[in-house]
Amino acid sequence: MSVLSAGQTQGSKRRHNLKMADRKAGFGLLAPAGIVILAVTIFPIVYSIIMSFNNISLTTNGFAFQSNGINNYKTVFGSPVFWHSAWFTVYYAVVTVFVELFFGLLIALAINNVKKLQGLSISIMLIPWALITVISAQMWDYIYNGVYGVLNAVAESLHLIGQPVTWLGQNTSAVIAMMVADIWKTTPFVVIILLSGLQMIAQDYYEAARIDGANSWQLFWKVTFPLLRGSIALAGLFRILQAFGVFDLPFVLTQGGPGTATESLAILGYRTLFEDLHFGVGAAVAVSTVILILLACLIFLAGFRSMVEEEAA
Amino acid sequence: MIQPRWQKILGYVVLIAFLLAILFPFYWMFITSFKQDKEISAYPPQYWPTNPTLSNYREAFVQYGFDHYMLNSVIVAVLTTFFVLFFASMAGFSIARLPIPWKKPILIFLLIISVFPPIAVITPLYMLLRDVGWLNSYQALVIPYTAFNLPFSIWILRNYFLQVPGALFESAKIDGSSVFQAYYKIFLPLTRPGLFSAAVFTFVAAWTEFFMALVFNSSNSMRTIPVGIALFSGQFNVPYGTIFAGSVVSIVPIMILVVIFRKWIVSGLTQGAVKG
Repeated sequence: MSVLSAGQTQGSKRRHNLKMADRKAGFGLLAPAGIVILAVTIFPIVYSIIMSFNNISLTTNGFAFQSNGINNYKTVFGSPVFWHSAWFTVYYAVVTVFVELFFGLLIALAINNVKKLQGLSISIMLIPWALITVISAQMWDYIYNGVYGVLNAVAESLHLIGQPVTWLGQNTSAVIAMMVADIWKTTPFVVIILLSGLQMIAQDYYEAARIDGANSWQLFWKVTFPLLRGSIALAGLFRILQAFGVFDLPFVLTQGGPGTATESLAILGYRTLFEDLHFGVGAAVAVSTVILILLACLIFLAGFRSMVEEEAA
Repeated sequence: MIQPRWQKILGYVVLIAFLLAILFPFYWMFITSFKQDKEISAYPPQYWPTNPTLSNYREAFVQYGFDHYMLNSVIVAVLTTFFVLFFASMAGFSIARLPIPWKKPILIFLLIISVFPPIAVITPLYMLLRDVGWLNSYQALVIPYTAFNLPFSIWILRNYFLQVPGALFESAKIDGSSVFQAYYKIFLPLTRPGLFSAAVFTFVAAWTEFFMALVFNSSNSMRTIPVGIALFSGQFNVPYGTIFAGSVVSIVPIMILVVIFRKWIVSGLTQGAVKG
């Protein structure tokens, strides 16, 4: 072995050692976050799954587990209350997310070219996003109030209704009222994401398409929409995750009522777990909810992808 | 591109209508908080209070101890933000700049984690906190909030660390800095915008979270603002005036935050769209 190559191997060995040291440091820096995430999210998720296969009772010595196979799931899937909640959650989420994306896109397109006061506008749009949902629920509760709510006053003065309506007291209007409160709070968030997506599209594309004789409709479907799909997918996913787990809004605004008209899966899970103290069955509801949310995300992404490809073709 | 005039006018009309729709409920809450009980339940309602009063604010703070809820919220949100920034910046730096294996799987794993709703973890955490006697404590909220906000913050910060030239890391090491010094003295100051984004997102998430706060900290002395406002109900009717007085006060810090950090919030939101 020549002197030169010996020096080289030594050098590469030193580099290798340095790299190993860096790798060690990398693991060290990753560890605190990793440990917290594993302990507070992964462990409980696995534990929830185990719980859902057990009969759990609260004894003086704490919680007693007794394996009972898939009985909790039999209870859950055999219960019309669960299917009612699941159905409500799905159509609530689908309707609100669709309306938010649709109006969010229309509004973003309309105001994209308004250059004045953009900072102020964005600040105002961010306030509902940062607003505590419980506060917005109380606010809407007062607006919808059946005796002295401002909605009744406005609707009456426009002669839309003859006398005050208890909006939250009837199934259909309560569901719509809850959807409106949700749409009010989250559409601005969707607009902000889509607006910044729009502003990242280079003007050259539009000019090139115009020179080729594209009309506004074609400009939208051939340029704007394909280039905006990342932003739309992001906003849609954010919203789907929140809408399928909806809890705060019905908890305060409708308490899941009237009856169980607005009882979302999260509300049902909460009641089963912390009001009825049926931990095993509640865990089965929670696990089913998670599976539903994962499915919803996959369906949204798959459906969205095929829609984008179709339009681009 | 030349824009037709009607498009410009339409833009202004839509923008103003949209902003008014956002602001009206806030206006309604704001003036209601200054109304007397009689005016609050007047029909048709008064669009401007005739005898503005501060009695709702007095009631919220003196009688209901709303200041205590605020203090709890501030403590929980600040501690959570601190821990998230500390842990997430180290992890983000490690993933962006250090030769650790399985970077892609780690990032995908973080994304999947942030999909899970609180209902998936709430019971085991409740049982655990109950067993160690930590229900109704600050750590009962700070620890889960930290865990739930870490994935998003790690993503944001990792993207910012990637934008800092890697050569800086090499030259810092040649100058004799340790890896931790390079992270702390060189990279962290250069990614301040990313830290702002992560901080605001985490603070807002901790400030607004309701489900876990309701289940873990329901005793009156440990309630955060959302739990306090949700359980504010009077015996016979809802005390809207008191609720809105507390709400108005609790919105102010968030509004200031949003105005100051607007740019970083928007860039944090769009990071995902650009890099994902």
